[in-house]
Amino acid sequence: MTAGLILRGVHLTRGTIPALRGIDLTVARGELLVVLGPSGAGKSSLLRAVAGLDRITAGTVAIGGRDVTALRPGQRNVSMVFQSYSLLPHLTVADNIAFGHRIRGADRRAAADRAAAAAASVGCADLLARRPHQLSGGERQRVALARALVREPDVFLLDEPLAHLDAALRTSMRTEIRAVHDRLGTTTVHVTHDQSEAMALGDRIAVLRDGRIEQLGTPDEVWHRPRTRYVASFVGAPGMNLLPADGPLRPPGTAAGAELGVRPEHVTVIAAGSTTDGAIGEVERVEVLGEDALVHLRLGAHAVVARVPARTRPAPGDRVTVHVADEHLHAFDAITGERIPLPAEAATR
Amino acid sequence: MNRDRRQLVLMLAPYLAGLALLVLLPATATMTMAFTHTDLIATSEFIGLDNFAELARDPAVHAAVGNSLSYLAYSVPLRLVLAVGLALLLHRRTRGAGTARAAVLLPGAVPELAYGLMWLWLLNPLQGPVNQLLLLGGENGRTMFGTLPPQWLTDPEDARAGIVLMSLFTIGETFVIVLTARLALPPEAYEIAELEGARAGQVLRRVTLPLLAPVLAVLVLRDTVASLQASFIPALVVTNGGPPPYATTYLSLVIYQEAFEYLRYGYAAAVAALTLILTVMAVLIQWRLLRRWAYHGLAGMGTHRLWG
Amino acid sequence: MTPPGRAPAPHRRRRAYGAAAVTVIFLSPLLLLLTGSLREPGQPPVIAPPLIPDSVGTAAYDQAIHEGDLVRAAANSMIVAAVGVPLSLLVASLAGFALTQLPRRVTATVIALSMLAMTVPATALLLPRFVLFRTLHLTDTLVPLIAPALIATSPLYPVIYYLAFRAIPADSYDLCRLADLTPMQTWRRMALPQVRPVTAGLAALTFVLTWSNVLDPMVYLYDRAVFTLPLALRALAAMDPHNQPVFLAAAVLTTLPALLVIGVAQHRFLHAYGPEGAP
Repeated sequence: MTAGLILRGVHLTRGTIPALRGIDLTVARGELLVVLGPSGAGKSSLLRAVAGLDRITAGTVAIGGRDVTALRPGQRNVSMVFQSYSLLPHLTVADNIAFGHRIRGADRRAAADRAAAAAASVGCADLLARRPHQLSGGERQRVALARALVREPDVFLLDEPLAHLDAALRTSMRTEIRAVHDRLGTTTVHVTHDQSEAMALGDRIAVLRDGRIEQLGTPDEVWHRPRTRYVASFVGAPGMNLLPADGPLRPPGTAAGAELGVRPEHVTVIAAGSTTDGAIGEVERVEVLGEDALVHLRLGAHAVVARVPARTRPAPGDRVTVHVADEHLHAFDAITGERIPLPAEAATR
Repeated sequence: MNRDRRQLVLMLAPYLAGLALLVLLPATATMTMAFTHTDLIATSEFIGLDNFAELARDPAVHAAVGNSLSYLAYSVPLRLVLAVGLALLLHRRTRGAGTARAAVLLPGAVPELAYGLMWLWLLNPLQGPVNQLLLLGGENGRTMFGTLPPQWLTDPEDARAGIVLMSLFTIGETFVIVLTARLALPPEAYEIAELEGARAGQVLRRVTLPLLAPVLAVLVLRDTVASLQASFIPALVVTNGGPPPYATTYLSLVIYQEAFEYLRYGYAAAVAALTLILTVMAVLIQWRLLRRWAYHGLAGMGTHRLWG
Repeated sequence: MTPPGRAPAPHRRRRAYGAAAVTVIFLSPLLLLLTGSLREPGQPPVIAPPLIPDSVGTAAYDQAIHEGDLVRAAANSMIVAAVGVPLSLLVASLAGFALTQLPRRVTATVIALSMLAMTVPATALLLPRFVLFRTLHLTDTLVPLIAPALIATSPLYPVIYYLAFRAIPADSYDLCRLADLTPMQTWRRMALPQVRPVTAGLAALTFVLTWSNVLDPMVYLYDRAVFTLPLALRALAAMDPHNQPVFLAAAVLTTLPALLVIGVAQHRFLHAYGPEGAP
């Protein structure tokens, strides 16, 4: 079975600034890949390179086993949902959904039927007669999705489609996007800067940084075995605590010059004196997030954040013992940022 | 060249052809003709700078340059101040604002020639409504200010003033642009000024005018160009360049008369070249004066684009 | 206390008086033109005729239409407008659209040329254009009057279209590329429908410029059969310069279509208001 989408050595320059610097990526047919990164990492450039909207300076793009590098956007059979939804204000919802279809010469009746079917599949069938300015943000989002679906594309590209929605709607829409994907099974590339969206949605996640893929893996892999210090600190909210290897936490067998990482979720905070195992720290600040609380600790010269159950949280000024199990420690090369296997990790292999 | 590019070029082609055929080539031809003796009857002959030498001695041209520049000096600032004042007066919802906006637009839509004839009637010294109004409340054929009524069609000064007066009623387009620009200004700027307790005069000087500066600068340049070329039909219809000898002879009128009344094309072309040079000079001088002001007005708002 | 966002009452009243004064001042020339045209034609000139004529009548109109051959002239003017205005808008919008898609260098050059074209005095172009049209045997036809549609009537208008098309979000253009639309299809299906207010405004301005054009007819037309309305008006005024009611009546007839078009097209603009409370 051929892959849904293959990028090989893709470079792309915007003006004089390199936006993509050698992207190699294979997306399986029917997979939902999330591209995650901060703004300016090249996420949108990656989508535009696939769509052909921006001309790549080197490399090849293949969709469904077909080399499309030299083809113009309209010949690649891809659909895109834009961050701004890009609904045309002079057309009704039905005409917006059928826009491309009509242009390609479908007759009015057939196009309308297809549009109605696509609208029904994303739950906006009751909006067909309205105009974009009469829709809420969530409704526009659905219409944009329907318009992208109606084409039955080989690849479905979503450029931060949830960025303009409020938090509650964002969560429910992401569930729906996943449901639509599971129903249709179209190869999908979804771009976001929101790591929780990426974790919730993706079959795999590609973490992008400065035009390169920093790590490509399942959400579990990215969470539990971040390949670089950058991925470790970007994924997770708050990100991983990073401390020098000769700092307060000193697992056996780490080389000097390494950096240690530990997720706030894995930092255990115990009242001082109840155990001798661990480092002594002081609580500086506590933020309660409902069920959990973030405890900002100072361990000597280092700041560490711990996520603890809110009911057992310490108070600011408390002296506490901080403990981290060895299997939850990550080590990174202080210079290259690359992951270094720790003895505990090596043993489990 | 791919499909899309070829089609785009085709879309641009009619306009480019028009520009070349109806503007660029004729302009080049005129500039060339300025160095010839051309009357469309005999073949034209090259006479070097003779036309320009004659032009330097021609009293009509002297008068026209002076008249055109004085028209520029009065008409452009007056028109702009009036347009800005009206735009600021009428930009808010008040009783009658919509009607007043329409009223400001309408005189500009009157076809030039009808407009000229209308003023020929309005400014008639004896029967014209303008002087009749001025005579209201005066005695013994004097105006309410005790002066003799203006002789719009026979006194040189009054005739020139009349031409400027006519130009003040055709500010519709400028008014629309200033009004649109004013409506587009961010309300936050005014809310800040209000929180700071600024008085109306300060708001005008420190908020409105600086924010409008780039638009106003472009309007000044545009009006300058237009006023050096316009003032033609009114002068032809209302005063016919007079009163004698050349009280309202403007450069554009000289070009027309030399070319199509006296059939001296070469000489008319030389006057056209002179007009173009004056236009470019006026624009350059104003641009230097306005650039800093417009730039300062622009600074700090960043979002306001002109031709960006 | 005044409610927030509203000017205090005396301010509003002052503005309303101001608006009323502006209306009176700017409409009075047009009203005087109208009353002047309603007087009895052919009367000996009197000193200080009343502003509102004693004997209101349309005799001057009958005389103007008859002597000035205004019906034929109006037909000629309408032919020029009916062909010239749509053609001009087509040229302007096609060029403005192409400028948004062509390389930046091409766009900058064309816009600079357009600006330059606006600084060239119209009278300076008349001579070579006259030679051109005479060589083509097109003088005494309406063609030279329609020809300016090729430069979109004013080189400013393609630039205005360019700015309007550029204001459409880039996503919409990308959408059309993904749907494999040609530039022409993108122009017609996506871009043009979104700039309808611009088209309406430019249509009105183009109509007024075309309808009012008197310089070109004065140069190209000698045969009365092809005279346009402004030119017929000029001939009428030259024929009997002292019979004011007649040429004022012809001026009213020449003016009316232009006023109507501007009035209709600007209806929307006339009712956009800024927030209250700021000068």
